[in-house]
Amino acid sequence: MKPVMVAVALAVMAAAPWIVTDPFFVHLMIIVLMWTVLGAAWNILGGFAGQVSFGHSAFLGAGAYTTMILYLTLGISPWYGIVLGGLVAALIALPIGLICFRLRGPYFALSTLAVAEIIRLVALNWESLTAGPVGLLITTLPAVSLGGRAIDWESKTPFYYIIAVIALGALGMTSLLARSRLGAYLLAIREDIDSAEAIGINTVQARVSALALSAFLAGVGGGFYAMYLRYVDPDAVFCIPLSVEMVFIPVVGGLTTVVGPFIGAVFLVSLAETFRSHFQVGHLIFYGAFMMVAIRYMPEGIWGRLLLMFESRRG
Amino acid sequence: MAGAMLAVKGLSKSFGGLQAVADLSFAVEKGAIIGLIGPNGAGKTTIFNLVAGFLSPSAGQVLLEGKSLVGMKPYAITRIGVARTFQTVKPFRKLSVLENVTMAAFLRFPMRRRAEEEAARVLEKVGLAGKIKILANDLTLGDQKKLEIARALGTGPKLLLLDEPMGGLNPTEIDQAAHLINDICQDGVTIIWVEHVLRAIMNTSHRVIVINYGKKIADGTPQEVVENPDVIAAYLGKRARPHAAD
Repeated sequence: MKPVMVAVALAVMAAAPWIVTDPFFVHLMIIVLMWTVLGAAWNILGGFAGQVSFGHSAFLGAGAYTTMILYLTLGISPWYGIVLGGLVAALIALPIGLICFRLRGPYFALSTLAVAEIIRLVALNWESLTAGPVGLLITTLPAVSLGGRAIDWESKTPFYYIIAVIALGALGMTSLLARSRLGAYLLAIREDIDSAEAIGINTVQARVSALALSAFLAGVGGGFYAMYLRYVDPDAVFCIPLSVEMVFIPVVGGLTTVVGPFIGAVFLVSLAETFRSHFQVGHLIFYGAFMMVAIRYMPEGIWGRLLLMFESRRG
Repeated sequence: MAGAMLAVKGLSKSFGGLQAVADLSFAVEKGAIIGLIGPNGAGKTTIFNLVAGFLSPSAGQVLLEGKSLVGMKPYAITRIGVARTFQTVKPFRKLSVLENVTMAAFLRFPMRRRAEEEAARVLEKVGLAGKIKILANDLTLGDQKKLEIARALGTGPKLLLLDEPMGGLNPTEIDQAAHLINDICQDGVTIIWVEHVLRAIMNTSHRVIVINYGKKIADGTPQEVVENPDVIAAYLGKRARPHAAD
């Protein structure tokens, strides 16, 4: 993308909390950016490498729990905890990748679903670590001062800036990946795994790298999630709906594009809120119907379609 | 054989009860074009899959310049200099022609710009220079076959395994492909080539190996092979007479 457009986008992001002051809308912006991170995480594995995971809540949850447990038991500040949460998620991803990538296509997708379910059950039953179904709760966040002023954790604005930085980091990583050799190799694997092997690509190593990178971002997103909501329990973070939402966001926004997950998050979060406020009951039916229409008529996603239109006008 | 690029010794592969390749031995000298022919289902593609590491042999050895390839993964075999094409083309369909070959050139040139330069050079060689921006999916079959060869060349192989590069091509394209294969050989690449287009393989190969039911039934110059009664029997049935072969 053009540097000018990037600069404008950054300025808008930085100024947003001054323009939008209603706490509910600040909350929505935070949720959008959080989903951007989670969607970007899925996009690396599902978009670039073409490996569909239905179990990404495992990594979100691992990040959320790591951040939470480190803070509650060792007093490690969430500043570090969020990053460590991402690293733990990436570490968990390594053995999962080595096992599940022996499987191809739908079998891989099903194995990720199974792995996420196993991790949920572990979290539910390992009560000495996770407090089981009761969940973990934090009441206060550590005092941090920035430029001599204490940060007010009861306001939403600090969270907005934190997640904005994380989201930019996630999209920046995607952009770097798209230009790197690993990124190219992931596309080759997505297109034809036999051909990829035949031109000398270690497809297991490349896919495990993609999974670890993807899990890292999901874990970071999860760490933020825990700190923002200040509560985690196994059914809240290791659940299938979260995994599925992580699939939808990049698919609707535009797979394999850098900005796609952000567009998808903006679109789906506002859509979900609209449906929720208009239909007390059954808003998920409309949401589901929209998803079917979107996937049927725009498989390349919103941003993907825009890029195609732009290219055809130039060419 | 001291100058052998590839040596296959006692190679066998069975799938359940089916013996696809049985105690096969042959050697390929450096710089040669070897034709590998045989009736449908004779085991030719299986041999390629065994050499390139896509299948592991039930018994026997595969040696590249004296080094055993058995047990190595396909990507590792490619990295030490064996490239292959697929009988049914397997391009990266949603990527451009240039990107397809760049992927392969990344193996030797980690920087994208250098890899692209190398890819452009290879595409020029196979005659796809004017089509580098087209998606692989939108090429004709003939061009996809060329792309398949270009991608294999992109990895910088010593030994190139071509699995029916002429299948489905028209006579003009077949002539172009034969030229290309000669050209690649001139660059010092050893070629083993599976083909059903007998006229082309007989004209271009230095030596022809004939396989039937997973066994080698003939090995010699094209002229020797067409006169071999076992070969004629394999292709035309036992009662055919020699002069019916052509």
